Amino acid sequence: MSPFDHEPPQWALKFLRFYCKPRALEIIEGDAYELFYKRIENEGLKTARKRFSWDVLKFFRLRYIKGLEDIETLNNIIMVKNYIKISFRSLVKQRFYSLINIGGLAIGLAACLLIAMYVSHELSYDKYHDGADRIYRLNGNSPARLAIQSKTDIPEIEETLRIQGPFDQTFKVGDKVFKETNGFNADSTFHKIFTVDFIEGNPEEALTEPNAMVLSQTLANKLFGYESAVGKTIQVDGENTLVTGVVADPPQNTHWKYNFINSYPKESWVLVGNWTANNFKTYAKIEKGSEPEVVQEKLKELAAEYQGPLIAKYSGHASYEDYLASGGRERNFGMIPMTAIHLEYPDFSFGSGGDINNVYVFSAIAIFILIIACINFMNLSTARSAMRSKEVGMRKVLGSRRRQLINQFLVESMMVSLFSMVLALGLSALLLNGFNLLANRTFNFQDLFDGVVLLQLFGLVLIVGLLAGSYPAFVLSNFKPVKALKGDATQGGKGSAILRKGLVAFQFAISIFLIVSTTVVFQQLKFLSNQKLGFDASQVMVVKNANSLDQKRETFKTRLAQFPSVENVSMSNSYISGGMSDWTYQTMEDNPRSYGFINLFVTDTYLETMGLNLTEGRNFTNQLVTDTANVLINEAAKRWLGGDKVIGQKLTRGDGEDYTVIGVVNDFNFESLKRDVEPMILRMMGKDGRLEEDWYSANYISIRISDNYLETVGRVEDLWKETVSDEPFEYIFLDESFNALYENEQRFGKLFSASSGLAIIIACLGLFALAAFTLERRYKEIAVRKVLGASVKSITLMILKSFTQLVVLGAIVAIPVGYMVMQDWLQEFAYQISLNNPLIWVIPALFVAIIAWLTVSFQSVRTATANPIKALRSE
Amino acid sequence: MQRINIGEFEELVLLVVAILHDNAYGISVMEEIERQTHRKINISAVHSALDRLEGKGFLNSSVGGATKARGGRRKRYFKITVAGQKSLDYIKAQRNSLHDQIPKLSLEYVSI
Repeated sequence: MSPFDHEPPQWALKFLRFYCKPRALEIIEGDAYELFYKRIENEGLKTARKRFSWDVLKFFRLRYIKGLEDIETLNNIIMVKNYIKISFRSLVKQRFYSLINIGGLAIGLAACLLIAMYVSHELSYDKYHDGADRIYRLNGNSPARLAIQSKTDIPEIEETLRIQGPFDQTFKVGDKVFKETNGFNADSTFHKIFTVDFIEGNPEEALTEPNAMVLSQTLANKLFGYESAVGKTIQVDGENTLVTGVVADPPQNTHWKYNFINSYPKESWVLVGNWTANNFKTYAKIEKGSEPEVVQEKLKELAAEYQGPLIAKYSGHASYEDYLASGGRERNFGMIPMTAIHLEYPDFSFGSGGDINNVYVFSAIAIFILIIACINFMNLSTARSAMRSKEVGMRKVLGSRRRQLINQFLVESMMVSLFSMVLALGLSALLLNGFNLLANRTFNFQDLFDGVVLLQLFGLVLIVGLLAGSYPAFVLSNFKPVKALKGDATQGGKGSAILRKGLVAFQFAISIFLIVSTTVVFQQLKFLSNQKLGFDASQVMVVKNANSLDQKRETFKTRLAQFPSVENVSMSNSYISGGMSDWTYQTMEDNPRSYGFINLFVTDTYLETMGLNLTEGRNFTNQLVTDTANVLINEAAKRWLGGDKVIGQKLTRGDGEDYTVIGVVNDFNFESLKRDVEPMILRMMGKDGRLEEDWYSANYISIRISDNYLETVGRVEDLWKETVSDEPFEYIFLDESFNALYENEQRFGKLFSASSGLAIIIACLGLFALAAFTLERRYKEIAVRKVLGASVKSITLMILKSFTQLVVLGAIVAIPVGYMVMQDWLQEFAYQISLNNPLIWVIPALFVAIIAWLTVSFQSVRTATANPIKALRSE
Repeated sequence: MQRINIGEFEELVLLVVAILHDNAYGISVMEEIERQTHRKINISAVHSALDRLEGKGFLNSSVGGATKARGGRRKRYFKITVAGQKSLDYIKAQRNSLHDQIPKLSLEYVSI
């Protein structure tokens, strides 16, 4: 059989004929056939066919593909090159406008990039855990037995976990002492709820035994210097604890950031505990496919079963049903999706510092700034391109099609936005540290130059370029060539002038709004810091960890009191601004009422140390043993109790003991001024810090200092080190700690001032360029006015007037909006400034107006003083 | 001296076309290169090089008759032009002159 009877693969031949240029086709086919026949003889039919296909595929090169020689296509590539070249030239020719355009847009994009990074980070919290959408937190705090009981009683619950913390604990490794923060207690199931990466140790057995702990990698490295930590022993607060695991540091985007996790000391911690004492954070993971609503309903039944009887007993009702019928609050263990904790339940998030409002505010600001920058871009592009109507006319006369003109302008605006993007990347890298301070996060360059964020930015840039370029592109390309050449079209039309002015007014509106917000935030903060707190926070130092003084408490206190600059010393179980717990007390009336009073244990000198006054009754005294059964209340508590005679009135905790009110203290703000003064009960602890038999609770020592602060702090520290050698000395000043409560608000204020600054800068850049442009066009008109006798002053005023109108228009829009938004923000505070102060509104508007005048006046004066001959002679 | 714009593979192809004289077309060039240099090359590379050389003016081409061995398709014969010959000469002269300048010592050294 002759090789010529065979045929090569038809698909390959078809493909070749499909793509190949006709000129080369026959030769290529010929060579391919010739090789094919030869190979049939030498290598067999199969290989020959394979290699024929391969050869044909290899011929698929630019050189042989048909259609590429098509003149139209090549011309397009050349045209694109030409667009880019012309765009570049026109950008360079109008350097000033281009710079302002690119610079303004770059600032806006940089702000957007940073904020986009922040927002996507905030939204990513806790999403990475396996089955994150099935994990719930049951209430903020819950009873010890809830976890195991719910897992037993409710089949839909797959796994539960209890956490307590965060704690600060003292670690002793060898003879080195470390004070470690962010420690937690957790059940051994923690790795089944949270996705945890074990580096050493067995996750299943890590926390099953008492006195075991898991360390984060950073902490393990710090304590054991990069050696294996598992199996080593640490003295934690004096107790020997075995390290049973090392886990990778929890990522940034989880609300539970731990340095170490302790196991629970005793198995009984699961099985005992009061059903109404909420000391644990309970997490539950429900089975795949089960309905959260069903589980929620079952949890409610659980609450009724276990909490119900107790509540009925405490409140003096015959049954839980009676309690509910008389208007009592129904108990339930609310299921909070874990992914919502960070942003929507900041109080439950172990201080991860998230806030959904921050996300909204940041996003709104990003959008505002971007809008301002885009308006500039559009305004300037439109204004500038109107100058180019002659160019457009000429192009049209020479045969340019409308599409090509549109392309030309689009390419130009794309180039501007691409340049801005590059600049924005540099800017945002520079601003990253400042932004971290504002956002209270620790972003690094890797987060900033993350692929997804960059891709989003690129998309944004394309959209901005397209939007900003489309108006001039479509309007200009519509010009009639004759008109355009005659110069009729250079006026740009009344419509576009109104549009431009409207946009500028809108920019001013945003700027004024932001400045008004800044003013209100800072005014409010100033107001809060000037507010009378009801106690004297200055000069009070609080020493922490006083419980570690143990038996030496009294000697420590006595020796402190001997320092000449120490006026007064007292002890308490928590401190003002440090957060206090509420305890429920009940009146001993015929119809008992109960309330969760803020409860504070103090020594007899506390009122003096804090500068509190008694308005009625008497203070505690150590001379009377019975005073442990007596309490002081504040005026808010007196109001709650009602009646004039509160001294001698009795309260009970329902445990058989009762407490007699012996005095009333003036109201003082022991929490941030966001909250009103709540009813409070002060109870006495002995001078040795003892509450009851074996119950010591003097955690903090407050010291009032008269002078020589630094020296006194030094002496207190020396005394501390002398007394307890293995516990670090920690202290705060009360006024500083109180001010730190407004950290979030202060950051808010800074954010607003930074963003309003940015907004003003961008808006002014735009205004400056627009003014220059407008004046250039009115050059001749102004010259004529001058020739006819107008003074420099009147011309300058005329120009300023037209811009002032825009500011006024902006203010009219901004002020009502600002009023509403700020009114809303102030609702958070129990103590607010009044927004009806006209200064808050007039000053920002005036400020913006002055900046606008300064921006415009330089150019207007220059135009007004110019020699009119120069303008008139040019034609 | 003006630079001769020619790549290594193109030079090889040009030489082979000159060697084959009046029987230079795609496959003969490919086979000759494979025979003399033991390189494995694809026919498309040869075509592309031939076309480029023609574009540069180093080769001329004419279309020849169809044969059965080619399934009835014609072939394109290539011939070296004067410019092509000149550039080959020039390259050779340049190489030789460079070779001659290698010191004996270093040659020995290399050959060890």
